[in-house]
Formats: sequence, structure tokens, C-alpha cells
Amino acid sequence: MFASKLVRVAAISAVLASAAALMPAQAQTIEMVMSPPAVETNRYWNTPGDFALGPSMQGLVGHDPVTGAYDNSGLAESWSHNDDFTEWTFKLKPEAEFHFGWGPVTAADVVHSLALHTGPDTTLNGISQLEGAVAEAIDEHTVKFTLPAPQVDFLFVHGGRGSLVIYSKAQFDKEGLEGYDAKPAGTANLQYVERNIGQGLTFEKVEGHWSGQDAQFDRLELKFVAEPATTLAQLLSKEADIVILPRELQGDALDAGFEAIPSTNASNQTTMLFNGTFLLPGYDGLDKTLPWLDIRIREAINRSIDRQAVIDVLYDGRAEILPVFGMDPRHEGYVPELAERFEAAYGYDLEKARALMAEAGYPENFSNPVIPILSSTLAGNPEFPAMAELMQVFLDEAGFQTEIVEMDWASLGGLRSAREAKMFHPMRNLPVKPSAVGIRNYYSATGGPRNNYEDEVIEGLMEKYMVSIDLEERNELAGGIFTRVFEQYAVAPLASISAEVIVNPETVREWTFPGTTSVGVSHFGSIVPAN
Amino acid sequence: MLRFIFTRLSHMLIALFVITVIVFSLSHLTGSPIDALLPDDATQQQIDSLTEHLGLDRPYYVQYLTFLQNAAVGDFGDSTKWKGNTAAGVVLERLPATLKLGGLAVLISVAVAIPLGVLSAIWRGSIFDRMAGIIALLGQSFPAFWLGIILMWIFAVTLGWFPTSGYGGLSYMILPAIAMAWFQIAALTRLTRSAMLEVLDTEYVKLARVKGVSERAVIWKHAFRNAAIVPVTYFGVLAGSLLTGSVVVETVFAWPGTGLLAIDAIRGRDFPVVQSVVMFFAVFYLLANFLVDVLYAVVDPRIRFS
Repeated sequence: MFASKLVRVAAISAVLASAAALMPAQAQTIEMVMSPPAVETNRYWNTPGDFALGPSMQGLVGHDPVTGAYDNSGLAESWSHNDDFTEWTFKLKPEAEFHFGWGPVTAADVVHSLALHTGPDTTLNGISQLEGAVAEAIDEHTVKFTLPAPQVDFLFVHGGRGSLVIYSKAQFDKEGLEGYDAKPAGTANLQYVERNIGQGLTFEKVEGHWSGQDAQFDRLELKFVAEPATTLAQLLSKEADIVILPRELQGDALDAGFEAIPSTNASNQTTMLFNGTFLLPGYDGLDKTLPWLDIRIREAINRSIDRQAVIDVLYDGRAEILPVFGMDPRHEGYVPELAERFEAAYGYDLEKARALMAEAGYPENFSNPVIPILSSTLAGNPEFPAMAELMQVFLDEAGFQTEIVEMDWASLGGLRSAREAKMFHPMRNLPVKPSAVGIRNYYSATGGPRNNYEDEVIEGLMEKYMVSIDLEERNELAGGIFTRVFEQYAVAPLASISAEVIVNPETVREWTFPGTTSVGVSHFGSIVPAN
Repeated sequence: MLRFIFTRLSHMLIALFVITVIVFSLSHLTGSPIDALLPDDATQQQIDSLTEHLGLDRPYYVQYLTFLQNAAVGDFGDSTKWKGNTAAGVVLERLPATLKLGGLAVLISVAVAIPLGVLSAIWRGSIFDRMAGIIALLGQSFPAFWLGIILMWIFAVTLGWFPTSGYGGLSYMILPAIAMAWFQIAALTRLTRSAMLEVLDTEYVKLARVKGVSERAVIWKHAFRNAAIVPVTYFGVLAGSLLTGSVVVETVFAWPGTGLLAIDAIRGRDFPVVQSVVMFFAVFYLLANFLVDVLYAVVDPRIRFS
């Protein structure tokens, strides 16, 4: 009796086991929540660079996930340049293929993509590096870029933060832009599934990817959530596996057992700009009433800021003090002495700040002594309003007269275009750009109209720097510019920070990304699920 | 009656025209979309090129007339934030989500507020009435975004009864619908209660009671039918405000409706979508009020003859 029961149980167990074996394995989906991008589109050239199709599309050049250095994990297997850096030749990987059967990646695709990205409707950040560039297909897998001026940093255009993503010409020829809008063919190991406007994007694993490196999960869902508290709720309820959270909310997640994964390198620099410091002789637009035109005031403001407190409050202690905004050890012109001199020249010292103010005759000698501090929000930098309030606290403590000016970031952009942004305002360098780009954007008239500081010395150095093709000389010139910026207290540099995601360790074990894109994250295909 | 409808329709068209002027002016007063679309390091050439590409270099009156001409046929231009989509297309795509959520919120509002208002009028001064008063007070005091986050935290994060946010079936709609409905429940409850109190004090209700009509019939047949005119009038406001009031709640719950769309479009200075969504809200609001006016005139003939 017992034996027959046992046989029946065993038989039922066997049937159930075999049925379970026949059932398809449950697909693993990684859900990631992030802020909505500035522009939701499949057309990269219509975004300012915060591209949500990063998981499926690639440029010619990749990045090492640990060091962030350029490598051949993109679509080009190698590249070379001529002596004066005006011609760059890329050899494409012959095995690289577009998704959905759109064929191999060829030089024609690169030429086609360049035309798309440099059209009149382009809104890409850094597109000036491609101005006047001509791409020529040398053969099916070789493409040559001819540039109007030397560009030592031309790989930046093709890397993670680049301005050129490769689209399929074959798809365009057959389906037009509508084809890209509906289902753009990329080349990465995740491919596009769908976009739900206002909600997010879904990608799926490419089985047997041409690179030989398949993703370790089946689907990736990027969800757009504008409200940080909602993002935190999604993580705490374990609906999301990975989220990008403002630092002030990260503590709640970490306390609840979730883990932070930072980028392997600093991905962002933050600063406060003394906008309107246009000190080039003969410039008519200079507002001479700006108190920070006096270098003593700029130094005093810098010395009023307790940067460690800023880092503790805004970044939960997980950031480094930044000696010069725009300067980074990975790029040319890094001057280690400036970092060493920082404490002596910029260290928090209220007495020194007040002495400088007294020496400058502040506020009596200033017709407009009030320092307007901009409070604004910018996707990716939710700390900016708090940063403005902190600045006001520090400056008030030192004895400055201040006011907070609330304004949306776009309006600031309008004022900057008109060179009328006469404020002490936050800025970021995300990701950390090559020195030439950073200097141009912030400290030189060549970056006009949206630069914030100009002086004769920097302009002289910049003139040489822009045309120099001698790497050693370039390094010296860039270093000279950064030294000048440092000594002139041209800005109030604050912090060097990494991009961070918060993950549920029950579902995500590992993710290594170098912090080289505008959204901070990349290398989606290398997310390692916990199981 | 036809004359009444015609008069109301003409008022509606005039209002719509004024709204187009306001929408166009306000959206352009907030600044140029160029500033939102272009990156921080945009060059002058990029600025000029995009300005021309978007037609923003033309005089304002030309831009307005073009807008008006195209809007008349439902063409609000192409979205600048959701490239590859028309502005009207984006709004229409997001509309069902808002209608679903707004519909549920209206349903909850009516289902809770009407009985609550009626019962608190019947049991005036009782504990039930005082409770209804507290609910109404809280409902009108709680900001929707705060209530939304609290509901999310309690019922989704802590108890796990509902999803926190996002788009989906009924379980995804309950918390945002309650957050949206709460304020309206408060307003509608108070309106219903005061209307019922007024009617319950009338001579014909007293007469019905004297004649021995059952209390249920007195309340629901004689009193409520007459008192309902006031809540019906409010229904237009209710429907309109639930739709337009979805802006905050949809943002908190990441519900991809027209409210969230409006916020995203404003942030991105997507003028075509901002204009499209505001015009849609306006038309909806005007239509809802037009229908209420007509309904009111049907229910109470004195209105159409006045």
C-alpha cells in the first residue's frame, strides 16, 4: 500500500519535473529608472547628447570600462591620423553588423551618419568638433575624416560622449527617417524593441552578437520617472533593479540594503561661474558694475566656501575637491602643482576673505555689491538648487550681500547666448571633456557666446593651443591656461564626482562603467545579474 | 432652446479665440525653445541655424497667424522634444491614459461624495456628519502631490498592495485616482450636503412626509432629484479640473497622460506640444461646461428663458 503510494508520488513528481523542464526559462528583465531625457527621440542628432539609445547604438570608438581610455570596443578596430591631426582614418570591424538584418557596418554608413549629425536641425553638444569635417569612404571598411583644423582630441567625437553615432544607411535608404523613428537598427549587444513616449524604452539581448559578447540578461527596460521620490519608491518596493537617484535620497536606499555602484572614473565636475567676466580689452559689452570683476572679490568668494562641507552636504561625502574646473588628470594640461597649491590659494578662510573684501573696499566701493546667485535645476544635477543655497550661506557668512535668482536652465541658456548671464551660477562638465573642449567652453572667446570668462593671457595661449600639433607643446599650453584660470580665480571650482547608480543586490551583481557619457552610465550590455 | 445653444456655442468660440492668443503669447513669453534644445556649449552658428530651421526668426504675428491657421485644422506642428512626432499626435497618444485615470477619479468622486453629502445632510450634526466635514476639510487642505506620495509610500512601498507608479491596469490607477479624486470628493460632498439641506427644508418635502411617503422616497425621489441640480452644475468643473489637475498627480505617479506631457513639454519648451495640450484642455473644459449648461437648461427651463 505504502509502496504503491510512493510509486504514485514519484510518478507525479517526475511528470511535474519534466513539465517544468519543458517550460521556457523565465526571461530575465533588468529594469532601470532614470530621469526623462531632454529630448525623446531615436535621432541622436536631435538630442543635446543625453541619448537613451545608448544600450543599442554605438560610435566608432569605445571606452575601457575600468580606465575609461579609448579602445576598440566600438565599431572601429583601429585608427590613425596624419602628422598634423587633420586627417583621421578609421578601419571598421568587418564583422560588425546592424540589427534586424540591415547588413554589415560599412564606410558608407559612417558617411551617411556624419551627414545626418551635422544637418541644420542638429542640437548635439560638441558638434562644433565636426564642423567642416568631410568623411570619405576609402573602401568598404575604411573611412577617412578630413578636418579643416587640427584636432588632437578627435576620438572624443567618436567615444561615449561623442557626437557621432552610426546609423544604417541601408535602413535609411529603404525606410527613411521614419524607419529610425520606428525601429532604429543599432550595433550593440542589445537591440531596440520599443519606445513608449513619456514612459521609456525596451531593449532585448542580441543572441550570438557579432562581438562575441552577449548580454547576460534578456531584456533591459529603461523607465523615465521625473519625480525622485517616485524613483526611490520604485527601488524600495523592488519594482526597479537599478535607479539613478539624487544623492540626498541615496542614503535612504543604502540604509534599506541597496548598493551604490559608482563609475570607475570621475564623470562630472561642478563649479560656480563668475559669468560676465569678459576681460578682453575693447569688449563693449562688459558690465563694469559686476563686483567679481575685481580679482580680490573672486578670491574672497572662493575662500568663503567650505568645500568639504559642500561635498558632505551635496554629495554625501563621496566626491573630491576640484582644483580647476575643466582640468583632469586624464587629459592634457594637467598640472599636479595646482592641486597641491589649492588649499593655500583657495582653502576655506573667512578671515582672509574678509580682509580681501576690506582691501577691495567692499561693499562701499561697488555701485552694485549684490552677488546674484542662480538657483536652477538641471537634469543630472539635482543638487544645483541646494548648491545655490549653500553658496548664499557661505557668502552671507563672509559678509557679502547676496540674492538668490530662481530661473530655469533654459532661460539661463538664453541669457548666456546674449552674454547677459551676469550671475554667480552653477555649471557642470559632464562627462569630463578633453581640455581643449573645456577651455573653449568656459574660458575662451572661441567658445562664445556661451563662455563665461575671457582674458588676454588665456586668449593668447588659446590661439597657439588651437593650432598646435605638438603634443608636448599642447600639454604646456593647456597647463598654462589652467594655471592662469587658477591664479585669476576665474571660477569657483567645487567638486569632481562619479556617476552613481543604486542597485538591488538581489537582482544586479555587478556593472562596470567608466563615466564617459552624458548620462554617466554606459556599457549596459555588461550588467551582470545576481543569478 | 436652439437659440440658447447657439448663444452658448458662440460664447465658446470667442473664449477659444482668446485662449489661442493667451496660449501663444504665454508660451513665447517664457523664452525661446532654442535655449532648451541647444546644449550649454552651443555656438552662434548652431543657434542661428536652429532658429531658422524652427521658423522662430519670423515676426511674432506671422508665427501666430500660421499657428491659428494650422490649429484650425488640428495641425499644431511637429514636436521639438519628441522628434518624429506631430504635436497633436503626441497629445492624442497620451490622451487615453488621462481619460482612463480621470474617468476613474470622477467615478470615485461621485460614488463617494454624493452618498456622503446626502447622508450627512440627513444626519445633520451627527458624528457621521462631523466625520464627513473632517474628510471635506482634509480633502481641500491636502495638496495632491503630497497626498500622492503619502499614498504611494503607505500602500505601495510599505504594504505592497499596489504598484508604486507607472502605466498599467486598474491596480496602477487606484492610488493616483484617489489622489486626484480626494479634493473633488471634498468639494462635491459639501455642495451636495448644502443643496440637500436646502431642499429638505422646503414645503413640498414636508408635505410628502405629512402624506406618509416613505423616508427613502422622500430623500432620493423628492429631495435628491431637486438637490442634484447643484452637483450637476459642478460636474463640468469637476470633469475639467480632474483632467487639467492631472498634471501634478501624473507626474508623481509617472502616469504617461497629457498632464505629465504638459509638464515635460513646458520643461523642454516644446511650444507646439504646449500649445496643443493647452488647447486640448481648453476645448475639453469648454465642452464640459457647454454640456452642463445645456443639461442645466433642460433640467431647469428657467435658465434658457432668462
